[in-house]
Amino acid sequence: MVSFVTARPAPQAAGTVCSAVPVGRKFLNTHTKKQTDMDPSEVEFLAEKEMVKIIPNFSLDKVFLIGGDLGPFNPGLPIDVPVWLALNLKQRQKCRIIPPEWMDVEKLEEMRDLERKEDMFTPVPSPYYMELTKLLLNHASDNIPKADEIRTLVKDIWDTRIAKLRLSADSFISQQEAYAKLDNLTLMEINTIRAFLLDTLNCMYKLRSNVQ
Amino acid sequence: MPCERKPMRYGHSEGHTEVCFDDTGRRRTVRSQYEIKDSRFIVTCGNDGDVRIWESLDDDDPKFITVGEKAYSLALKNGKLVTASSNNTVQIHTFPDGDPDGILTRFTTNATHVTFNSIGSRVAAGSSDFMVKVVEVSDSSQQKTLRGHEAPVLSVTFDPKDDFLASASCDGSVVVWNIEEQTQVISWPLLQKSNDVTNAKSLCRLAWQPGMGKFLAVPVETKVHLYERGSWDHVSTLSDDLLTQPINVVSWSPCGRFLAAGSVGGLLTVWDVNSKLCVERQKHEKGFTVCSLAWHPSGSQIAYTDTEGCLGLLDGLGTSTADKNTTKQVAAKKPAKDYDDLFDDDDDRLMDEGLSDTKSPAKKAVGWDDDDDDFLVPATGRVKNRGAFLDDENSLDTGSLKLGQDKFGDNNDDAGSSVAPAAPPVAPLRPVYEGPMPTPPQKAFQPGSSPAHLTHRFMMWNFVGIVRGYNDEQDNAIDVEFHDTAVHHAMHLTNSLGHTMADLSQEGVLLACPSTEELASKLQCLHFSSWDTNKEWMVDLPKGEDARALCLGQGWAAVATSTLMIRLFSIGGVQRELFSLPGPVVCMAGHGEQLLVVYHRATGFDGEQALGVQLLQFSRKKRQLISGEPLPLSQKSYLSWLGFTAEGTPCYVDSNGMVRMLNRSLGNTWTPVCNTRETCKSKSDHYWVVGVHENPQQLRCIPCKGSRYPPTLPRPAVAILPFKLPLCQTTTEKGQMEEQFWRSVLFHNHYSFLSSSGYEIDEDAQNLSQKEQQELLMKMFALSCKLEREFRCVELAEMMTQNVVTLAIRYASRSRRMALAQRLSEIALEKSNQMQEEEQEEPEYSSTRRSSGYGHTNVMAGGRYSRRHNQQEEEEDEEERGEELMEEEDGQEMEPEEATETKKRVNPFAKEASSPIKPSPTPIGKMGRANPFKVPDSGKMSASSGQPRVTNILDNMMSSKKSAQLSSSGGKPSKSPVLKPLAPKPKTKTQSTLLQMAATKTANKKAQENTEPAANLQKRPDTPPPAPPADNSENKRPKTGFQLWLEENRKSILADNPDLEETDVIKEAMGRFRTLSTEERLSWTERAKGQSGDAADLKKRKRAEGGEGLENENEKAEADESSAKKKKSLDPSSKLSVFAFNQN
Repeated sequence: MVSFVTARPAPQAAGTVCSAVPVGRKFLNTHTKKQTDMDPSEVEFLAEKEMVKIIPNFSLDKVFLIGGDLGPFNPGLPIDVPVWLALNLKQRQKCRIIPPEWMDVEKLEEMRDLERKEDMFTPVPSPYYMELTKLLLNHASDNIPKADEIRTLVKDIWDTRIAKLRLSADSFISQQEAYAKLDNLTLMEINTIRAFLLDTLNCMYKLRSNVQ
Repeated sequence: MPCERKPMRYGHSEGHTEVCFDDTGRRRTVRSQYEIKDSRFIVTCGNDGDVRIWESLDDDDPKFITVGEKAYSLALKNGKLVTASSNNTVQIHTFPDGDPDGILTRFTTNATHVTFNSIGSRVAAGSSDFMVKVVEVSDSSQQKTLRGHEAPVLSVTFDPKDDFLASASCDGSVVVWNIEEQTQVISWPLLQKSNDVTNAKSLCRLAWQPGMGKFLAVPVETKVHLYERGSWDHVSTLSDDLLTQPINVVSWSPCGRFLAAGSVGGLLTVWDVNSKLCVERQKHEKGFTVCSLAWHPSGSQIAYTDTEGCLGLLDGLGTSTADKNTTKQVAAKKPAKDYDDLFDDDDDRLMDEGLSDTKSPAKKAVGWDDDDDDFLVPATGRVKNRGAFLDDENSLDTGSLKLGQDKFGDNNDDAGSSVAPAAPPVAPLRPVYEGPMPTPPQKAFQPGSSPAHLTHRFMMWNFVGIVRGYNDEQDNAIDVEFHDTAVHHAMHLTNSLGHTMADLSQEGVLLACPSTEELASKLQCLHFSSWDTNKEWMVDLPKGEDARALCLGQGWAAVATSTLMIRLFSIGGVQRELFSLPGPVVCMAGHGEQLLVVYHRATGFDGEQALGVQLLQFSRKKRQLISGEPLPLSQKSYLSWLGFTAEGTPCYVDSNGMVRMLNRSLGNTWTPVCNTRETCKSKSDHYWVVGVHENPQQLRCIPCKGSRYPPTLPRPAVAILPFKLPLCQTTTEKGQMEEQFWRSVLFHNHYSFLSSSGYEIDEDAQNLSQKEQQELLMKMFALSCKLEREFRCVELAEMMTQNVVTLAIRYASRSRRMALAQRLSEIALEKSNQMQEEEQEEPEYSSTRRSSGYGHTNVMAGGRYSRRHNQQEEEEDEEERGEELMEEEDGQEMEPEEATETKKRVNPFAKEASSPIKPSPTPIGKMGRANPFKVPDSGKMSASSGQPRVTNILDNMMSSKKSAQLSSSGGKPSKSPVLKPLAPKPKTKTQSTLLQMAATKTANKKAQENTEPAANLQKRPDTPPPAPPADNSENKRPKTGFQLWLEENRKSILADNPDLEETDVIKEAMGRFRTLSTEERLSWTERAKGQSGDAADLKKRKRAEGGEGLENENEKAEADESSAKKKKSLDPSSKLSVFAFNQN
């Protein structure tokens, strides 16, 4: 019989993250204590709430969870469940995961090409595309056709976008703009740049005010 | 003169082969201007380098001349045989002796096509070195070279007048050359480019019309273009729907009237060039590419060869030369043979997409009798006999008519005689059947499997799991996988026996293979659920008996064999039963103890299958539930899936995507529940059904894009389709609800079946479904009310359970439809009577009633329902109900007090007795538990009869009053209330409580006023089920105007008469209230209505009070009851709002 994890393991507390900050940047930490910063694992945690289709190989009635009811599970019949549950079931070999529609080589290629062509950020297939790709490919690559290609493609998209992000951050700073608007960024991307950008800006602000 | 396709025979080794007729026979002159030559020989050349000379197609020992290692092309005229061979030469041999007669010309590579001009003086040869040479036969030094092609030359042809030469080349061009000037006259880029003859899509054999050479025929893709000589205009196109692959070769009949074409797919087509109509179609018996065509000089035969080196002949072509009005006939071939082709050779492929381009299963002979010159009118349009086995949209119109002409045109004078020698009329030999054509019976199959010819296929996909078969070079194996891994782990078996059929259940896997020459047909069962160590058994079927279909049930396995028998085995391998089927099996399905068999009942005609169905049950009492009734299919479709729903109702799907389910409540008829094709996006998409569930209503299937069957990889995902009964006007609200209702009824039939066959059923779900149905009925009722369809309302009410009828009555009276309400109450009464009878029978016959009752879900199901609801907190309700029931059963008439006492006494019994059998408590929540018919019945009866049988004084008063009112004012507020009869009431009651009194009076009041539509509820019955005490029902009323008035004025009354008792106060109040004017009373009533919302609170309080004194005083109990009643009565009215329709 299937037993459920009724509580999802939450990611590590944010405090442990701070300790990982390089010593050289410690003086910044005193200024901006990183409560606002999210660990990637926290973002991933959020991503795990996304729904994904699975084909269970067990039968189970509805389960009533705080986040909502799931099921009933019928063997062989596709059903939507949160990613965390899908992965849990998958790890116990209780289901097959059907990859989301966008997780398809052709569509991703198209997206990558568009991303490379456009100067702006293009809309992404899912707000958690990176996290989902990583999670699903790590745990259920046998259910996803052409997993390696997909991994590469998503990484390409990610790299392109991060490069754009760095570029825009660079021009933002070099032009000394007061604000900038960036559309279609995902949480993970924002989170990647946030710490660095905020610290930098703080630092620069300090330096500038010292100069004056 | 029918055209006959002679069987193919081996001519040469595989590869390009050419054919021509010898024209050296004796010549005859017919009608001076035409020559007809008798041809003695068919001459072919092929890849083996030989030229064979056949005396006839049956010649077993043809003469042969070896001309080289390979012969690419040949031409024969005037005793000279010209061949293009692999040594890059074009040589001449004498014919028929075969002596070498020198080399005509050479190329740097091999010649691809050689041809004579019309008189045989010149030979043209095209070569792979891009050149075309024209050589005089008599003097090979006189050569003309035509340069200009940029790729190997495909074919060459002479203008009959020798002025021009046409050639086609792999560079895509078709060029007309002026031979003398060696220049291009015109060039058309018509063809697809390629780099070599072997890679060309089509050989593009051009042909110039003999005689005047008016037209040049160029095969372009699937059409033939005709270009006019001189103007070089494209004047017309010959085409045919059946032609889907490029035409390789065209050839004119000697008379120049007909054009024959052979295509890559092996289709041979003959057009009449004048009418541009296709007059003959034939299909290569194996579908090989036709690469050469030659007309017999008489025009009655066509010889053709294919790329596999075989030689074929079409004989008896009616396209003879001499005259238009010649005798023509193209008649039907033996259909039986076609059927064999269709259903024996590649049955499965036929079912499959895209491969169904074989010939029409039936050809229709059409008789023509008009004198028109244009006699060769092909019968266009589709033959009826199609669609059944061929997929409409994918097949290349395969089913369409084999054109047939069955005409003896007017054989006027010379015309008939002119052709006689060449084409003798043979019609009398071959009587043509013109009636409906028999449909080839569909082959046996396993539901949920894909065709057996696929190397990777599903052998079974059902509720339990998936069985996949692999049969390719490396592997011959079977994979068994379970949806629910709890059943068993996946299995991988080597398929050494060559199993082709499989079924899968929770207990085992059943496999069967057909017999081979040495081995008998075997049945293998992997009984994995066995608790001993032997998990497998195998049985050989008797010699000459082949397994055709198999299925697994619970504890048994069944095999249908080629000897029209069904053999039953236990799952452990014990042979159990054996019985014969009336016809060849089509497929079987098992579920639990049920076995469903579909077989061929008879021969179907015109595309229809004649299937019969048997449903057997192997429970303790074995019986046949459906004995060989015809299985209804959509028009011209065949069965594509058969099975049971997960709940055990037989179900099947035909090739038109129609899903039908057994309707056990309608005499085992089949009801269509879904058309899967409606949800398909494109015409060639299909849904492959893998399972049907009734609860929840799910049709599980796999969407197949552009095919009927899913591929095994990538693993297909199951989709769920909803059911939809094809009722009329489902876009309207009414239609929708009707559809929902009947669907709900149909899909819950299984409950009654299951319970009747002793299975446990999910009562919750059943009750839910009944509730749903009743709600739908009520909605429909409300809708009909809104549409002023009262008759329809009554019809709907007849389907309702009794308590819903009371709701309906309320609704009707609220919407001021008194006549309707009356009729409804009649119905309610009827229903209550019915129910009572059942109740009485129930103790003895409860089980039978249940089984007999299935199908009548509306009325009958209540009894079981109530059991669960016998809860403590509802005790009062129950008590009361019990009392009332008892009362009704007793049929006693009592004074209220007595009634109460009786009730008290019998209560325990009532409760117990009624609990298992209680009729009404129904899906509609609490209110359902109130005695539903008491009130409405009474009112109605009194109203209608006007001569009520009195149960007590109050009743009497009420009913008489009411009837009077009804008759006078027809439900409108009456002006002259008479309250006199009230007086005795308090007397009879020694200790009435205020509540009771008030309620009684208010009820009376209301009766008078009758402004509230719900007043009907107070009507009392006078017939058999004698009404329970009036006050009970009346107490249900929310506060009335009088009560309000009393509340306000009590103080003043008390002030005036401080010594009055409670009852007297009310009496006094009554008197005062009566003295008020009608208007005032009305206004109070209005206020009361406005307050009715508050009433609930009030009642609760009362109820609590009542509960305290319960143990001591009957009166209090009574009050309690009445308050409970009130509460209940409220519920339905609020419920009503659920069904209310917006008036917009």
